[in-house]
Amino acid sequence: MNSLTLTRRHFLCDTTTGLTGVALTHLLNNEILAQRIQHHAPIAKQVLQIFCPGAASHIDLWDHKPALEKYDGTPLPGAGTEVTFQGKNGNLMKSPWPFAPAGKSGKMLTTLLPHTAKHADDIAFIHSMTSRTNTHGPGNVFMATGSVREGFPSAGAWASYALGSLNDNLPTFVAITDVRGEPPNGKANWSNGFLPAQHQATMLAAHQPLRNLNRPAMISEDEERSTRAFLQRLNDAHAERNPGESELRARMASYELAARMQLAAPEVTDFKSESAHMQKLYGTDDSNPLKAAYARNCLLSRRLLERGVRYVSLYCASRASGIDGLLNWDAHRTLKTDYERHCPILDQPTAALLTDLKQRGMLKDTLVLWTTEFGRMPTHQEGSTGRDHNPDGFTVWMMGAGVKSGVSYGATDEFGRRAVENVATVYDFYATVLHLLGLDHERLTFHHAGRDFRLTDVHGHVIREVLA
Amino acid sequence: MNRVKILCLFVMFVGFILAKPVPQVIAQQAVDFERDIRPLLHARCSECHGANKQMAGLRFDKKASALRVIVPGKSSESELHRRLISTDKAEMMPPTGERLSPREIALLKAWIDAGAIWPETETTIAEAKRADKLWWSLQPLKQPVIPSVQNAKSDIQNPIDRFILAKLAEHNLQPSPPADRRTLIRRVSYDVTGLPPTPEEVEAFVNDNAPNAYEKVVDRLLSSPRYGEQWGRHWLDVARFGESKGFEQNHILNNLWQFRDYVIQSFNADKPFNRFIVEQLAGDVVGRGNPAVEVGTAFLVCGPYDSVGNQDEVQQKIIRANTLDDLVTATSNAFMGLTVNCARCHHHKFDPIPTEDYYRMRAAFEGVIHGERALATQAEKQRYAEKTRPLEARRNELTKEKAALEKSIAERAKEKAAQVTHYPLPKITRHFNEHRFAPTPARYLKFKMLAHADNPKSAVNARVDEFEVWTRTRNIALASNGAKATGATTRKAEDFASANAYGVELVNDGKFGERWFVAAPAELTIEFRRTETVERIVFSHDRTAAPDTIVTGIGPFVTEYQILVSLDGKKWKAIADSTARPPYNEAHLIERFAPSVMSAEEQQKRASLEVELTNINRELKAIPALPIVWAGRFEQPKETTYVHKGGDPQRRGADVHPSSLAVLDGALKSFELPADAPESERRLALANWIASDENPLTARVLANRIWHYHFGTGIVDTPSDFGFLGGKPSHPELLDWLARRLQTYGWQLKPLHREILLSRTYQQSSAHREEAAKLDGSTRLLWRFPPRRLGAEEIRDTILSVTGKLNLQMGGPSFRLYRYLEDNVATYVPLDQHGAETYRRAVYHQNARSSLIDGLTDFDLPDNAGAAPRRISTTSPLQALTLLNHQFTLDMAEALAARVKQEAPRNEAAQVHRAFALTFQRQPTREEETTALQLIAKHGWRAFCRALLNANELLYVN
Repeated sequence: MNSLTLTRRHFLCDTTTGLTGVALTHLLNNEILAQRIQHHAPIAKQVLQIFCPGAASHIDLWDHKPALEKYDGTPLPGAGTEVTFQGKNGNLMKSPWPFAPAGKSGKMLTTLLPHTAKHADDIAFIHSMTSRTNTHGPGNVFMATGSVREGFPSAGAWASYALGSLNDNLPTFVAITDVRGEPPNGKANWSNGFLPAQHQATMLAAHQPLRNLNRPAMISEDEERSTRAFLQRLNDAHAERNPGESELRARMASYELAARMQLAAPEVTDFKSESAHMQKLYGTDDSNPLKAAYARNCLLSRRLLERGVRYVSLYCASRASGIDGLLNWDAHRTLKTDYERHCPILDQPTAALLTDLKQRGMLKDTLVLWTTEFGRMPTHQEGSTGRDHNPDGFTVWMMGAGVKSGVSYGATDEFGRRAVENVATVYDFYATVLHLLGLDHERLTFHHAGRDFRLTDVHGHVIREVLA
Repeated sequence: MNRVKILCLFVMFVGFILAKPVPQVIAQQAVDFERDIRPLLHARCSECHGANKQMAGLRFDKKASALRVIVPGKSSESELHRRLISTDKAEMMPPTGERLSPREIALLKAWIDAGAIWPETETTIAEAKRADKLWWSLQPLKQPVIPSVQNAKSDIQNPIDRFILAKLAEHNLQPSPPADRRTLIRRVSYDVTGLPPTPEEVEAFVNDNAPNAYEKVVDRLLSSPRYGEQWGRHWLDVARFGESKGFEQNHILNNLWQFRDYVIQSFNADKPFNRFIVEQLAGDVVGRGNPAVEVGTAFLVCGPYDSVGNQDEVQQKIIRANTLDDLVTATSNAFMGLTVNCARCHHHKFDPIPTEDYYRMRAAFEGVIHGERALATQAEKQRYAEKTRPLEARRNELTKEKAALEKSIAERAKEKAAQVTHYPLPKITRHFNEHRFAPTPARYLKFKMLAHADNPKSAVNARVDEFEVWTRTRNIALASNGAKATGATTRKAEDFASANAYGVELVNDGKFGERWFVAAPAELTIEFRRTETVERIVFSHDRTAAPDTIVTGIGPFVTEYQILVSLDGKKWKAIADSTARPPYNEAHLIERFAPSVMSAEEQQKRASLEVELTNINRELKAIPALPIVWAGRFEQPKETTYVHKGGDPQRRGADVHPSSLAVLDGALKSFELPADAPESERRLALANWIASDENPLTARVLANRIWHYHFGTGIVDTPSDFGFLGGKPSHPELLDWLARRLQTYGWQLKPLHREILLSRTYQQSSAHREEAAKLDGSTRLLWRFPPRRLGAEEIRDTILSVTGKLNLQMGGPSFRLYRYLEDNVATYVPLDQHGAETYRRAVYHQNARSSLIDGLTDFDLPDNAGAAPRRISTTSPLQALTLLNHQFTLDMAEALAARVKQEAPRNEAAQVHRAFALTFQRQPTREEETTALQLIAKHGWRAFCRALLNANELLYVN
């Protein structure tokens, strides 16, 4: 779509018709709102991407490895002494918690996530994911943008660019950061990259309102109205003196859209209308403040999706702290205590969100993704009871719109060290996501710095085995 | 098809026509060789008459061959045309299959009749999907003939206008009349300086009857220091300048502003650009010992840099390759518009850049290390050494003396310790330590920490995961039992909203695994709910780990301590200490027993040595350090550069030498250095080759950038890509003329700016004209001056400027519009209030990566993860929210109100006039004045000023 490489000015260059202000408002709305690119009929219309930064361990959560229990404390066969991100590795280390069969499918999952396990029959696990880097920052942006370097559009930005918005009073793409802070590489994870700025995510969380949303307290409603009316007169007169400049009208329309946003956004974060039962299901009042905060963000996610936000990136945990594994899933030292801290925060609220989406029939249109940047080693790190980074095999999952229920695709070897069966890449993952959104990942391009860029670079195959 | 799509297609169509070089003679015809004819020949003829097969020896991918059957200008005499329309089966073409459609035949006929123009490039049809070495931008600069303009007034002297008018005439377009003076001074002021003109400047210009009134304005602006701030900012975009490292840690860079100042100064001084290029790639070589030149090399290292570190060797090589890729990308794109970076994994798919070229360029940068270096003159360095050297020598002496003394004391301490054979308590552990004492009533308990495992002299930086105080039955230290713990912590995680991640409250939360980071004073005080009789404490560092495992990397644990109790929090009684346990290790043992074996003389000696050492360190610290700048370091590469097959450092391809790029071999003199050439020579050779007058890309790319910033779009609309996938020049002859002009001016920009600014093309009105827009909707042909929205920095600077708050202080450390938090990694939190210290031009903002800046990010400040050769201009409701509601707007509205009241004290109407003059450079209409006064009467000045600062008229330039 070469036409989309044109800038706004070109877009709105009103040379053929004398569009009225109303039509131009419509045009702005179209530009911001309407589906712009469609390669085939979409199955999913919206995306919820749950991201657990810090490399949530596949072999301790989703990818059951009986061999780890059997060979616990012995060297990883054939590995010698492997040197990975933080240094040397020790012997194989079994998961500190048992696994148990879940759902009708009997999928073996960790007992640390009992609520989430109840959804096993609806989930399509991809156990053979690989990353191109073993470092968190590049790993996070790779998982979010398909590039290990910053400056590229995230999947949500691509969706916003290709599909536009489904609402006329809220952002298209929202990033909900954890109360503990931003993920590694922060805002690069939801950047518009080289796409126009409107496609970056708006940051919003239950604990952090949309920036600059509210009329300043010192300004009365009446003053606001009069100010806007005066501004409108100034702009009208200016636009009349500059006929043919549709961008001026578009900018006026953006003020109207902003006003609608001011009305809509506070309502989204106000949970008054949510029943006590619902709040309890999510755990919004849990005594663990971190869990309660994440639960509120889960509830917020559902409310945003319900109101037509196209893409929600929901983070559970944050960045690398002064202590590995404290603020996120990066359990280098003390896997057991770290995950006994993180899993209860993730489990009940996430499971409640999935239940809620399902009950409301929203999974028909909503694609749910669970992702992390890479996996962890089956061995423990030398001198620690934790695991080092492992980009050679990890698990992500999908459920909801267009996704086959209760399947497992691909596999790592018997210890979980490497993906060996149906090896999948971040590109394959997003080729599949885009496919479900009605987009051909090879044809969704943007011309920048000398070539057409894609979310999937020059790679990627749709993983048909996980499609319903 | 909806309206957006229709508009898109329309614009695409126009853009398409304009993007192709249209041969003059047939310009008014519908046929264009590249668009219409070449694809047709390729699709319908090349199967038998092409690169692979040449039946009858004829091929339609070669001009010379094709002309055997074409008579230019005469289709009736052309064999090609005759065969196409023939119905004779023996000679009709194509002999089988579908005939050409009547439209296709008509196109070919029209093309032949118009002269069968076949552009000069000998690009074959088979290769037309990519460029070869004959690609236009790789050819030497032409000496274009300045067109004579027919039917135009003879006084059009400016060659720029003649090029533009000739092209307009080809498309039946007329230029627009001159802009009015108010519009013109506003336009040129923003363009040259990024700031609006003052009302006084506008008045002076409007009333200046001198024939050179406009010239005077242009000259004033070009000599203003504001010029360097505006045009330097443009270059910083191209140089992907960012003042934080990016990637995971994204630590802020506080010593890179010197490069920003260097760029601004270089533009203001109109430093020849070829010199500027060499300084940025090899300033340390050409300006050794001259900090003002050496600082240029910061260009190499001002891109994102992964500083996390990695123990995995394979990953280390990949990270290094990515780091150098940033240099290759930045250099080739910025100076030459070449996307050499696309040849990292394979030969360039579209341009004739072999993958070896990528590694040739990498070889030049192989020894560049991201980091700091001292930038000082030789004399400064020497003076510094003269001051520090004697002090350092003395420090060494004292240190030796002290070590000898310590050694002797240590020997005796060990002997003394050996006499103690029994300790009532076991040795300290990281997992679990219990200390019982005689039951004693206490309201407070203090745990004074004296040492940790890594430091026998201090416990600062120790970690404690839990601390318990027991009565006979209960742990009354627990917060849940009403106790309160206090103690300093070394570390903060300020972005962690709900609690402090490293705070003292972690010691009495009843949970293990998260630790308090102990700061000075290393004391923990527990206040109990009420006075109770306590009899033991328990503390640990890693309670949950099995006793035989030692986890590294979670900080040290407390080894020496004292326990004190108090009833009132004022009077303390020591009740137990760690001497009841064996010393943790030899260092602890010495520390514990040394006081008892030292003579008074030794004690005095040790104390005096410590005092003297402290003094020397203080003196050293007081000597002003040499300026340290993030300008990169250089090391001789240890390894020969080699091709990474598929971009993978593990797949070794052929060795390459530091040398010129083969893609330009035909255009200018090449160079090749030995594989082990000295590091500095490599960069210098590359720099000189890029900056050579013979290099056709460098001058073209620079001339195009200048044009781009003046007119909003370049002659090539992809300013950093002059390759096959980039835009084609709308005015190729003008581009070459500008490039040559630049060289004539000795690569100085200001004379060229002046020539452009004084052109009629630049001074024409920007008014929309329906009939012209239909032919050229994107204004590429410049039938008017293209209007634009201000850029992010211009908007902020404008608001500060019109309100009278702009502080024009130049240079020096950057200001910040975010709060910088660092806890292992950096977090940038946007500020709700912008203090007066931020009222400087936005070019001086500390432009960190992955930060979100109210008023700048929303208005399309580019993500400086990479270069931004062209800024995008978007419209979004978030811009409206920021500009309406951020405290900055309110503060500025108040400032504007105060300013107009002061400057036009006569009455409110005069004040309204002044406000309009300041913000819009004009007087209000009567109707505007009336409604403004009504608004002010009802809601005060703030409401009025807030509206002005949000107005389209403020944000758009005509």
